[in-house]
Amino acid sequence: MMNRQEELTIKPVRTVLPDQVVAYIIISVIFVYFLFFLLYPLVQILKTSITTESGFTLSNYVEYFGKARIRRSLWNSFYVASITTIITTIMAFLVAYAITRTTIRGKSFHKSVSSLPLMAPSVVQALALISLFGRNGLITNWFSGKWDIYGAPGIIISEIFYCFPYALLILITTLSAVDTRMNEAAESLGAGPLTVFSRITIPSARYGIFSAAALAFNLTITDFGNPIVIGGNYNVLATEIYTQVEGMQRFDLGATISVILLVPAVLAFVLNNYFTKRNYSLISGAARPFLRPSSISKKALFSTISFIISGAIVIIFLTILWTSIVDVWGGRSGESKQILKWLTSFSTRHYNFAHRGRSISVVWTSFWISIIVALFGGWLTLITGYIVEKRKPHGNQLLYLITVLPAAIPGLVLGLGYILAFVKVNWLYYKASIIILNIIVANFTLGMLSTMTNMKNIDKSVDEAATSLGADLPKSFFQVIFPLSRISFWNNVLFFFERSMVTISAVIFLVSPKTQLASITIIHLIDDGYVESACAMSTIVVGIVVIVHVIFLSIFKKKGIKIM
Amino acid sequence: MGKDIVLENITKKFDKIVAVRDMNLQVNEGEFVCFLGPSGCGKTTTLRMIAGFETPTKGIIRYKGEVINDVIPQKRNFGIVFQSYALFPHMTVRENVGFGLKMRKVPKSKIDSRVDELLELVGLSDQKKKYPPELSGGQQQRVALIRSLATYPEILLLDEPLSALDAKIRVNLRAEIKRVQTELGITMIYVTHDQEEALSISDRVIVMNRGFIEQVDKPIEIYKNPKSRFVADFVGTSNFFEGELKKHTVVNDKTGISFNVTSDALKAAGAASGAVTLSIRPEKIVLLSDGKNVPADFDRANIKKGTIEVVTFLGVIVRSLVQLAGQRIIVDITETEFEERRISMRDTVSFYFPPGDFLAFRGEGA
Repeated sequence: MMNRQEELTIKPVRTVLPDQVVAYIIISVIFVYFLFFLLYPLVQILKTSITTESGFTLSNYVEYFGKARIRRSLWNSFYVASITTIITTIMAFLVAYAITRTTIRGKSFHKSVSSLPLMAPSVVQALALISLFGRNGLITNWFSGKWDIYGAPGIIISEIFYCFPYALLILITTLSAVDTRMNEAAESLGAGPLTVFSRITIPSARYGIFSAAALAFNLTITDFGNPIVIGGNYNVLATEIYTQVEGMQRFDLGATISVILLVPAVLAFVLNNYFTKRNYSLISGAARPFLRPSSISKKALFSTISFIISGAIVIIFLTILWTSIVDVWGGRSGESKQILKWLTSFSTRHYNFAHRGRSISVVWTSFWISIIVALFGGWLTLITGYIVEKRKPHGNQLLYLITVLPAAIPGLVLGLGYILAFVKVNWLYYKASIIILNIIVANFTLGMLSTMTNMKNIDKSVDEAATSLGADLPKSFFQVIFPLSRISFWNNVLFFFERSMVTISAVIFLVSPKTQLASITIIHLIDDGYVESACAMSTIVVGIVVIVHVIFLSIFKKKGIKIM
Repeated sequence: MGKDIVLENITKKFDKIVAVRDMNLQVNEGEFVCFLGPSGCGKTTTLRMIAGFETPTKGIIRYKGEVINDVIPQKRNFGIVFQSYALFPHMTVRENVGFGLKMRKVPKSKIDSRVDELLELVGLSDQKKKYPPELSGGQQQRVALIRSLATYPEILLLDEPLSALDAKIRVNLRAEIKRVQTELGITMIYVTHDQEEALSISDRVIVMNRGFIEQVDKPIEIYKNPKSRFVADFVGTSNFFEGELKKHTVVNDKTGISFNVTSDALKAAGAASGAVTLSIRPEKIVLLSDGKNVPADFDRANIKKGTIEVVTFLGVIVRSLVQLAGQRIIVDITETEFEERRISMRDTVSFYFPPGDFLAFRGEGA
């Protein structure tokens, strides 16, 4: 028999607040955060677009559609986004097919190269194009080219390489999950390779293809960095918002164009979500049989396609790096034809930003803001995911919907909303705080979704076991849930850090000379005509992100062994 | 014996689905009770309400006389054992078992001695530095069991604790849970869908169906005297005949079959006429030998001819599926009897249905 005497020494559990109350407090705080920093700015945008001092008006919309130059931006946006979407989806499908369905070599090379653009501001593509094909570009000089890269072609090419990795990720997931035994069944029934490809492979991956296309469309139509740099006089919706607000101080017209931009952006996001869900319902858990060696001609074809695309991405980043370390890109006067000569006269002077009227301190600002964003974002998504998925208080469905919303809102629109909403709030206006709050909200969706996936993998009983043993919500969270979510948490920290380092559109309206960021400085440097220095700044930003990424991955590897 | 847990008119709704309807129940101190029923019958919901994870929509839950509806789970000091073990994978066995005591700020030395004592109780003293994933399923569930016992809970709640384990380990661990319960004299409330488990370890079985309690009784009573067709069907195997009761005869007009039944058998139905369902266990049906005389005390009206369809060898007994009067029934005979008779498929043989071995339930269908 147990010694029941000992029981007396056990004090009952002390709890400050019941778990439900704690859950409600947390959920309310997050709710208030999103109310003020997501919904309120959006309402301000809408309000600004349809009111004047005298009341309700549609004059802004009349003005928008009345001015041919501005009106064109809508058509231009659709044109650029449509072409980009088609080309990107086809390219991504071919590479995804090569990686998942053929036995070509260098798959991991293609995968890691294609993740590079995710770690760079969405301006490096355009910047590299300018360095290569611009008026004084390497290739322009080489071939004495008379082409004009500025405008629609430049935007489309830049956007293709910007969207490619996102589309590729979706299609790799899709193609590696679809049961390849269907193909074998079709082959055994006498279908030739082309028939199998067009009748089985493509239809079975259709939702993945649609989802990738919708995402590419959304990314292109909302992107700001690439079109502002390489668009020239070719205006798209995003750049037109910026021109109206920064150039003309027309906040009302900027807000109006924002509302117009919101429509296709949200639509594309909803479509992407819909297709993603359909896609997952098609994915079977069936074991995949061994991949049979592909024929030599198939391997040759897909190797070539993959290496051309990966090679182009590598060239983009090499060009950025090279441009930043060459003394004069295009050579000093008269040297423009002696390409090898100017390509090998190196200099570090482009890294001296003070000479360009800018300061290296923006890197430091970007860095510490990103660390704060990363830690807050990591904790906030983890806590929200935990409460929504495991504690399910009333209203958690609503909260879930609100936290998914930011992914649909173009960063530029949200940023403009912040300016309209918080112009009179001293501790926010043009301060680091507004930038931090904005970047967390703008990237909350993806962080939240990955946390939810992780939470779903933690057995609900584990949390309940802790509760029944006397742990209140905070204790259960810190002692049980957090240790089991470490990898997901640090992944999110890394994600928020990277997004924060490279984001342009979300913060372009929020920075000020006092609080300036590295990614925005790239835009300003290009604007001032210092392409080499812009490349230098890009190199620094990409370098920091890649180094942090590598450090995290190596720590994950070590920890991964210990945890499993 | 005092009453430990009392459920008064408990109803639990999830949106529009009613999981538990107007339930009344008492669990006595030191008692081992089992909630038995198919999935979705409300047994786990009831357990979770007692644990404090769900709040009843209506009704009162009392513990030692006091209403505990609004007492948070942490303050109830009821141990819980989960189907999935729910061990903390990042903590050692020792840390897992000591978790509840740590939450109660018990000094470390006392936690250690208590943990050692419990590990000894289930024979896992040499495993205390291991992590849960390094243990077998049976060992993990033992750890989960003593973890829930560490804080001297007044009541232990077990939610299908053995469902995830292999058959043999299940039987061993079942015996061990029973031993621990007897040794500690603790009240245990156990949820299972496995009738063998429920009948073999509990003092009382609560059979649930669609949110209702069908019957609360000792295991042997549940088996021998099921109070409803559902219980007769769910616990063990039964054959059912529907028909119209006239005095002591049940006639089915459609199939033309009729059985005589005794007054004892009619008790559960509690009526002298009307639609009833008769049930009889497969082992109660007697296989008659050809040519031999039928014993004098047999009621000849209850001898029926049937055709053997399938014969399944189950070890000690042989189970036959028999086509009889338009329905398929199950008849169990012993292996010895089977050897003697050498019955085979498509044989037509006579069966005797003893009038006293029927149970009658009012109404037709389930």
